[in-house]
Amino acid sequence: MNLSFTFIAILFGTSVCADNLDLDATSIVRNVLNHWRGLSSHGEMTMVIHRPDWERTMSIEFWSKGEKLSLVRVISPRKDRGNGTLIEDKNMWTFSPKVNRIIKVPSSMMAQSWMGSDLSNKDISRTDDIVYEYQHSLLGRRDVDGFTIYQIQLIPNEDAAVVWGRLVLEIRDDNVLLEQRYYDQDDQLVQSLRTIEVREMAGRSVAAHQRMVKEQTPDEWTEIIFDSMEFDLDLDDRVFTRSNLRNPRQ
Amino acid sequence: MNTAGIVMRLAWRNLWRNYRRTIIMLMAISIGAWAMIFMIAMLRGMVGDMIRDGINALPGVVQVHHPDYRDDPSVENLITMPSGEIESVFKEAQIQYFSPRVRVPAIVTSERASRGVTLVGVDPAKESLIQAVGSNIGEGRNLESVDDSGVVIGHRLANKLETSVGKRIVLMSQDRNNEVVDRGYRVIGLFTAKLPAQEEMFVFSGRTVVQKMLGIGDAVSEVAVSGPDYKLVEPLVQEVRQIFNGSEEVLSWQELDEYLSAMMGIIDGFVFVWIVVIFLALSFGLVNTLVMAIFERVREIGLMLALGMRPASILSQIIVESVFLLLIGLAIGNVLAYVTMLMLPAGIDISDLADGMELMGASDVLHPTINVKDIIIVNTFVLFLGVLASLSPAWKASRYEPVEAITKV
Repeated sequence: MNLSFTFIAILFGTSVCADNLDLDATSIVRNVLNHWRGLSSHGEMTMVIHRPDWERTMSIEFWSKGEKLSLVRVISPRKDRGNGTLIEDKNMWTFSPKVNRIIKVPSSMMAQSWMGSDLSNKDISRTDDIVYEYQHSLLGRRDVDGFTIYQIQLIPNEDAAVVWGRLVLEIRDDNVLLEQRYYDQDDQLVQSLRTIEVREMAGRSVAAHQRMVKEQTPDEWTEIIFDSMEFDLDLDDRVFTRSNLRNPRQ
Repeated sequence: MNTAGIVMRLAWRNLWRNYRRTIIMLMAISIGAWAMIFMIAMLRGMVGDMIRDGINALPGVVQVHHPDYRDDPSVENLITMPSGEIESVFKEAQIQYFSPRVRVPAIVTSERASRGVTLVGVDPAKESLIQAVGSNIGEGRNLESVDDSGVVIGHRLANKLETSVGKRIVLMSQDRNNEVVDRGYRVIGLFTAKLPAQEEMFVFSGRTVVQKMLGIGDAVSEVAVSGPDYKLVEPLVQEVRQIFNGSEEVLSWQELDEYLSAMMGIIDGFVFVWIVVIFLALSFGLVNTLVMAIFERVREIGLMLALGMRPASILSQIIVESVFLLLIGLAIGNVLAYVTMLMLPAGIDISDLADGMELMGASDVLHPTINVKDIIIVNTFVLFLGVLASLSPAWKASRYEPVEAITKV
């Protein structure tokens, strides 16, 4: 796809910049992930779970390292303080101070919601799926406010553990994911993750305010707002252990 | 003419002296016999279906598992012998119908729903399970080989997941280290099962594909062996036990599904109780008829005794009379039952009650099954007890004092 796109682009002399010629769809997606995560990251975010009759706000601190390791821990509200999730590759553990137990999230619960939000455990633990489980192709590009926005289509590999028919990502050329749309296999839009605000944080532009909405229930959503963020810190592997999940030391 | 001939003739003629009473009695006996045979046939048919479906759902009349598999049917408890070796030893033992399969609990997910299922990795060439559980592939195609990476799921499961043939679903399970393993599969076919629960329970795929997903190499979770007759499994169990030499658990279907085998025993007992109950009702009529017949003929019997007929002949005359009555009644009853069966070749549709029957594991069409053994039991039982019941009036008649009997008004 990339080849033919390049070929067509050259043929018609469109405005493909020279430095973008070697940017294929797969690496655009990978860059987004790397940009968003860095070698390691740490920060605080607010998660708002909105329902027609109630709304719930949580403050969460998070750490990540490489592609495989991440840890999140709830700071507030007070009654949820200390609830944590540790992700190591495909595996996931949760800890709740109230029961003082670490529970490994079994495969049967992977499709369930994470902390009551519109994100599933799988959405949380398998962020790099969008690089490895799909075939990427560039659908189009357009220029908005001095940025180039790439529209990339992701078709899951035949044996990928992905239920979607396809995903469509809108990616700004400074590696910010603006929108991620999930289509089912009849090509109906099922849910979408939209970036509401892009902000400069720790020297990077970050999708600082995102909202996940399911198409069938447009008045229910989950928003994630990054309050602070730092990248490429020197995080010890010890941070991403079960004992640290239980007894915070960092 | 010898005594036996006279006794027979007298008994036969006496039977038709009051033909109305005899016909009523005949009706009672024949309806009783019909009811016994037909109800037993229905019962047998129901249980037969239950057992057949039950065995098919297992399936395989003999199964080999890891000793702990039945307590914890997870991917940890696999048969230690690799499937290649299993095949060769079974071929050596000349057991034809066997199928090694992988069977693990899994979660199936579509875009809109997820459900717990049993993922079964099969070798379609050897497999009777799909044919048995899914009586037919309603839509799409069946699996074609061990490494077919499509899945066949039930119609109802497809509805619940809002998926259809040609779409992809994701199956998630755990490997031996309790780590999540998952893989996308394309739905290639939908099966329909007699029991709706099975349509939601089983998901079939090629065995090697499932083995690869679970990372268990060549291992399998069970070997199902089927024999020609589900009632004769003991020799097969012994044979298979020898193959595995004690390292795995080899069980027959009776041990695997104790509910089913207990049902078999219960039904035999129930048949007996049923016969006794109907007969009790019948015997009152029978004894009453004979008592009346004797009461009418007291003077006649007295005369016969006075003329020198032995009490034994009187006794046998009455008994032969009741035997005739019973034989004719039973004959009519048997024919009635047989005709009823002929009129119901397709079985009885009880689909109105299907939900309730499903709880018991029975399907929605009842196929009454006549069992020669049951017919013999019913007939001999009725005949024997009938003769027994007529003994007392007959004995009474044979003990009359001739003078008293003749002068009795």
